[in-house]
Formats: sequence, C-alpha cells, structure tokens
Amino acid sequence: MEKTVQNNIKISGSSSVGGGVFNQVKINGSGKIISDIECEVFSCNGSSIIEGNLKAETIKVSGSADIEGNVTAEEITVSGNSEIDGNLDCEVIKVNGSASIKGNVKGKEILINGTSNIEGNVSSEEVEVRGQAKIKGDCEAEVFISRGNFKINGLLNAGNIDLELLRHCEAKEIGGENIIVRKNIENAGVKKLIKFLVNQSNDYLTADVIEGDKIYLEYTQAKVVRGNTIEIGPGCSIESIEYKETLEIDENAKVGKQNKI
Amino acid sequence: MENLISKKDLLETANISYGQLYRWKRKNLIPENWFIRKSTFTGQETFFPKEDILQRIEKIKSMKDDLSLDELADMFSPSPSVTSLSADELTKRNIVSTTSFEMYTNHLGTQLQYSFENLLSLYLLDRLLQTGEMNRSEGIDLLNVLHEHLSKLKSNEGELIFIRKMGVSLFILTLDPTNLFIDSQAKIIAQYKMNSCIEELKLKLS
Repeated sequence: MEKTVQNNIKISGSSSVGGGVFNQVKINGSGKIISDIECEVFSCNGSSIIEGNLKAETIKVSGSADIEGNVTAEEITVSGNSEIDGNLDCEVIKVNGSASIKGNVKGKEILINGTSNIEGNVSSEEVEVRGQAKIKGDCEAEVFISRGNFKINGLLNAGNIDLELLRHCEAKEIGGENIIVRKNIENAGVKKLIKFLVNQSNDYLTADVIEGDKIYLEYTQAKVVRGNTIEIGPGCSIESIEYKETLEIDENAKVGKQNKI
Repeated sequence: MENLISKKDLLETANISYGQLYRWKRKNLIPENWFIRKSTFTGQETFFPKEDILQRIEKIKSMKDDLSLDELADMFSPSPSVTSLSADELTKRNIVSTTSFEMYTNHLGTQLQYSFENLLSLYLLDRLLQTGEMNRSEGIDLLNVLHEHLSKLKSNEGELIFIRKMGVSLFILTLDPTNLFIDSQAKIIAQYKMNSCIEELKLKLS
C-alpha cells in the first residue's frame, strides 16, 4: 500500500469502498470496506463491516462495527456494539457498550464498563471490569480489578487481584501475589444501595484453585486454597487449605481440611 | 516418562512463592507447555518437567538482580535477540575461539554479517571442539548438517545428537526432544538441547 496523498473517507449514506491508507475514516450511515484498511482516526456512528484488518491510531465505535480481521490501534472505545473476528491488540481498550472478540486481546489498559465476550486469552498490564466480562481463555495482568461480574474459563493470573463480587463471579483457577475478594467495599455509594435493595445473598465467587502469597476471601467457594498468609472471611466454603505462615478463619466460614506446610 | 515435579514440591525445593511462580509465568519466563495438568486423588494438580524447571528457576534467581524480567524473557524466548553480528565484533568480543571461527570461514566462506543462525552453528562447533568430544574433520560434517538443516528447526525444541560407532561419527538434528535407543556398540557422545544452547549463546551475546 502506498501512502501518497492523505485521503479521507466519509460515508453518510450507504456505500461500499475498498481499503487502503487514509487519514480519517468516518462512517455515519452504513458502510462496507472490502479489504484491509489503515488510518489515523476511524469512527463509526452508523453501521460498518470491514472485510479485512483494521489498523488505526484511534478507533471509536458508537454505532455498530463488524471487523472480520485483526484490529491494531493505540486506543479503541466501543460505545455501541463491536464484533471482531480476529485479535485485538491495542494499548487502551474501553468498552462502554458491548464487544465480542473471537481472538486474543492484548493491551496495557483495559476497562470494561459494558459487556465483553472474549473467546481467546487476555493479557494486559491492567484490567478493570465494572460491567461484565466473559473470557474463554486465560487472563493475565499485573493488576486485575473487578467491581462487576466476570467469568473466566481458564486461569486468572495477576500480581494484584482485587475483586468486589457482583452476582456469580467465576474463574477456573486464580493465581497471583495479592488476592483480595470482598462482597462489599465500604463507601461504594449507589451500588451499595442497589445491592442492599436487591437480594444480597447472590454475590459469590467460585473457583477450583486459588493460589497466592497473600489471600483474603469472602463469599468464595473453592476446592483448594494455597498460600503463605490466608484469611478466610464470612460466607466461604473451602474444601482444603494449605498454608505456609498464618491462617485465620471467620466463624461464618466452612473449611474442610487445613494443612500447614 | 520424563521426571516430573509437583508444584508444591517445586516451590519447596526452589524456595519460591506462588506469587513469584505466577509472575514468571506471566512474563513468559516459564513456557506454557511446562505446566502439565494431571488429576490426582487431591484433585487437579500441576506438574513440571523436573530438570528443566529447576534449571530455569536457578537461572532466573541468579540473574534477576542484573536483568529486568523483560530482558530475561527475551533471553529465554526461542526467537533471537541479536539478529546479526559483524565478523569484526564476533572476534573482538571473543564469542567463539579463533580456531573455530577460522574453520567456519575456511569451510563456508567469509561473510560481512553473521546471522543468529550462523552464530548458533559457530557456537555449537566451538563448544564441541572445546570439550574435545569432536575432531576437526567431524567439525566439517557438523557444519554441513547445520548449514543445510538448521533453518528448518522452527520451534527450537529439538536436539543435536552426536553418535560415534567404531570410529565412524554421525550427527542427528531432531525437531522434537527425543529418547534414542541405539546399538550397544554405538555411543552417544553429545546430546544438546537446542533451546538451552540458544539461551547460552544469547547470554554470551548480551
């Protein structure tokens, strides 16, 4: 692809165009791009289909975008609805609407306020879930924060894991340095009020294995918890615990075997 | 069957914590395929190839003060960190002995730049010559094998095996790690894992 003149694409009605290298691509109506496209700014307020890869500095989807290839960008914001058949590789990822990605997701800062369905693996420095995230593969991050709901079919591996539970949160395995799972965080404001009004007993976490250096759990059901210092809070049901240094168990928790190693 | 070690035993033997192990996995210092899941009577447990993982952890522990985790990951990754080196630099930095270098250039000609693959051939030649396991004419055979087939080893999981029987020598390059069963008169002189050779070479280059 030659980058000769900086061109723009603007689709306001309905149209189908070829790909290439552009400056700005703006789709307000319904647009179809039939090959790979590279641009500085890609914004879609209407509906768009890209039958190839999309590479851009900034991507904003307020309408709906269906990308059949991979997406590479510095920053992507999905406020509407987005489907990506390939991988998403982007420094800053914000999902306010809904995003579904068939491949892997790689980023530095991932913020999910809306809903996301990811079929591959996720790796990022930071992941924050305030809405709902479903990840079929593994999720790796230095910091993983959730104030919403998540389901991870593989391993959640993060340095710091800080979870405030909402409904049934789930991960097959959890591993990291510091793991904190709480039902409510004080001063959570409006959410606390909503949680108070709605039936509270539905917030819990399930995992097969939880392993970390420092672990604090509330309302967690797990088969095995292993760590250096472990504190089991109220509402937990743990089949077996292995610890190295200290173990504290709340009186409202059920624990099967416990072993000091 | 390879010798395996459970995660619990590994942490104890190597004196590391869960957090460290998970961090190193995140940083790709420990390859995904070393995490072997098995069902045991206590439920699912993770096992590792014992020798490989203990060696790797020893290396990480001894080098993590000098190198960042990302630099370490670079070193352990099968893809080369240095793509090429000039002949000048190669001799100046004393990466291989001059004897081996001369042998290489006599046989394959001089080049301005040596690619990582060339460097690996040179390194293997030098190593086998230096240990006294191989003589010079066998060295030529080795160079021929590497020159022809090294580029086909994409995964770097393979091995270089050097066998001698009644004074006749033979080199084998494999794509995957192997267990060889050979004739009782034959002797395996050397069996090198490609990925550990690459790590050592990278260490010399960095």
